[in-house]
Amino acid sequence: MNIELILFGAFALLTLLSAGTVIFARSPINSAMALVSTFFFLAGIYVLLWAHTVAVMQVLVYAGAIMVLFLFVIMLLNLGESPTRGKPTVARIAGGAATVGLFAALAIILLKIPAAPATLSTDAQASFGTIATLGQVIFTQWLLPFEAVSLLLLVAMVGAVVVAKSRI
Amino acid sequence: MTLPNLSLADFLPLLPTIIMVVGASILLLSEVFLSTTASRSYQAVLTVATAVAAGAVALTTMFEPPQEVMLGFGVLDPFSSFLTFVVCVGLALATLSSVSFLRKRGAERGEFYALMLFATAGMSLLAMSNELITLFINIEVLSIATYALTSYLRRGTRPSEAGFKYFILGAFSSAVLLYGAALLYGATGTTHLTAMAGPLSTALSSQPGLVYAGIILVGAGFAFKVAAVPFHMWTPDVYEGAPTPVTALMSAGVKAAAFAAMVRVFFMVGKGVDPAMLLTLFSVLAFLTMVAGNLLAIPQRNVKRMLAYSSIAHAGYLLVGVAALFVTGPGEQFRLLGASALTGGTPLDLARAEALRGILYYLLAYTFSAVGAFAIVSVLERREDEEKGTAWDLERFSGLAQRKPGWAFAMAAFMLSLGGIPPTIGFMSKLLIFQAAVDAGLIGLTIVGVLSSAAGVYYYLRVVVYMFMRPVPEGAQALEKSWSTELALVLSTAAVVILGIIPGPIMGWLEQASSIFGQ
Repeated sequence: MNIELILFGAFALLTLLSAGTVIFARSPINSAMALVSTFFFLAGIYVLLWAHTVAVMQVLVYAGAIMVLFLFVIMLLNLGESPTRGKPTVARIAGGAATVGLFAALAIILLKIPAAPATLSTDAQASFGTIATLGQVIFTQWLLPFEAVSLLLLVAMVGAVVVAKSRI
Repeated sequence: MTLPNLSLADFLPLLPTIIMVVGASILLLSEVFLSTTASRSYQAVLTVATAVAAGAVALTTMFEPPQEVMLGFGVLDPFSSFLTFVVCVGLALATLSSVSFLRKRGAERGEFYALMLFATAGMSLLAMSNELITLFINIEVLSIATYALTSYLRRGTRPSEAGFKYFILGAFSSAVLLYGAALLYGATGTTHLTAMAGPLSTALSSQPGLVYAGIILVGAGFAFKVAAVPFHMWTPDVYEGAPTPVTALMSAGVKAAAFAAMVRVFFMVGKGVDPAMLLTLFSVLAFLTMVAGNLLAIPQRNVKRMLAYSSIAHAGYLLVGVAALFVTGPGEQFRLLGASALTGGTPLDLARAEALRGILYYLLAYTFSAVGAFAIVSVLERREDEEKGTAWDLERFSGLAQRKPGWAFAMAAFMLSLGGIPPTIGFMSKLLIFQAAVDAGLIGLTIVGVLSSAAGVYYYLRVVVYMFMRPVPEGAQALEKSWSTELALVLSTAAVVILGIIPGPIMGWLEQASSIFGQ
């Protein structure tokens, strides 16, 4: 058993535990904090997959920016503890059945995937998904979409300010 | 890994867009540094100058052969250059008509013009996009700018409702489009439209479901953007609630750019799959859109809403032209009219070139007519009546010929042009589209198109009847004049009438230039 497998097991277990906490915690604040830790452990799994950039983005964007928004909304709406669990209604039973069905379908598909993983050359692994590679590609090959995205962000900022500011 | 080098020359094809973005940035900064001046007319002048400069640059590139731009992520071809020109015309006219509209409401701001410029820059980039991710980003650039413009004036409930509806449905349609694009990527392994044809035909035999789902989802996403039936529900509410100059830009520019992107994507996809499937898809869309758009417009007494439904109907005629791009078969069935001035290539190529020319000319014609009509609507409406819902009532037009003969003449020209009656540019453009459709063998669709546009004449002429044959209502408000709106009206009326009688110059350009990359 190598260190990667141990790390993966640890991250996977912790991800599942915190994801469970998100669902079962009574207080929305606890749920939100558990979501943060879910994102962190998920980022660990991304690192094990050599997806460094995705891992950093996961922490920056999801665990950072989006969670702050979540907490703001919880604070603004002043959400307290949720009431005790409701009675099973038709919608809840149908929702539960759909979830179980989805997982069953996923399990069937995953079992069909051959066990031997595709062999990757170490060279591809070492550079693939790193921030250096991504930066090189973004600023050369993908320059047009990149500049279009910067235009998009500028437009979105101006638009948000125009819509949000006092009535014209 | 070898990385490409980009030189300054690689950015030159993007010059129209760069001009517009720089102009928009200056406008944003002018609001910070120059906002103490009481008059903000210079902002409109700057916007129009920027639009004219960008349009002129686009015209100079129109006769160059198609070429890849920025490593194939975009293309510069006559098709995209002409489209950039069309959206710049639309922007200039909409800006001219917005000056007095905004001043009356005390809402002249640099951000308004900057967002108009950003939206137009997105449209120009969208017409050039040759890669699915770039295409999606540019759709978002123009959409987000128009969402913000829709709810720019937030007095009363209508603008908020319009902005919210447009945002939710626009985001939904973008997601549908993106999902379809992801499926196409999954099937072919590339997002470059040029490289897609080969892998697409392989994928079609191995996993047809993926390809078909991708094509249908992308098609549905575009159908939302061009407001084709049955994806048109948002159009009347959004067009009615948005500030009228913004509605003008939306109906002309956003539609033109979305059509350009749709034509480019499906032209390339059509090389990999059986074009008969695309022909069926677009024929059905065109049929539904023409018939439903015209029928829904007939009962409208609200002129702004009527123009919204009419823009749906016009999307239908354009879709006939798009459908004509995908005909295949023996040469005998083509060129039934045999009157085309286009030469060279097989009959099939000629039929396609004709359809492309028809689409481009139609987009230009619709830009002049619709932006002009919305300019008249914007000078007649008053803010106080918006909540009552009478701001755009047909009664507003009663006796306009006695009060303002020039405006009434202009509106009559726009209405005749939208209805497709000679001697207007609208007639010429319908003629070109239907000629292309007949030459492509789409006789049934052409008959439906002609009949439904005949039905459309009813609601266009009703406005003319109100203007010329009804008396001036009691207690009618005095109408204010403004040089900029007058200029927009004079320019678009002149274009509508002169290009309807002498279509030569533009037709000449299009005969040389109706080619799309990869044709």
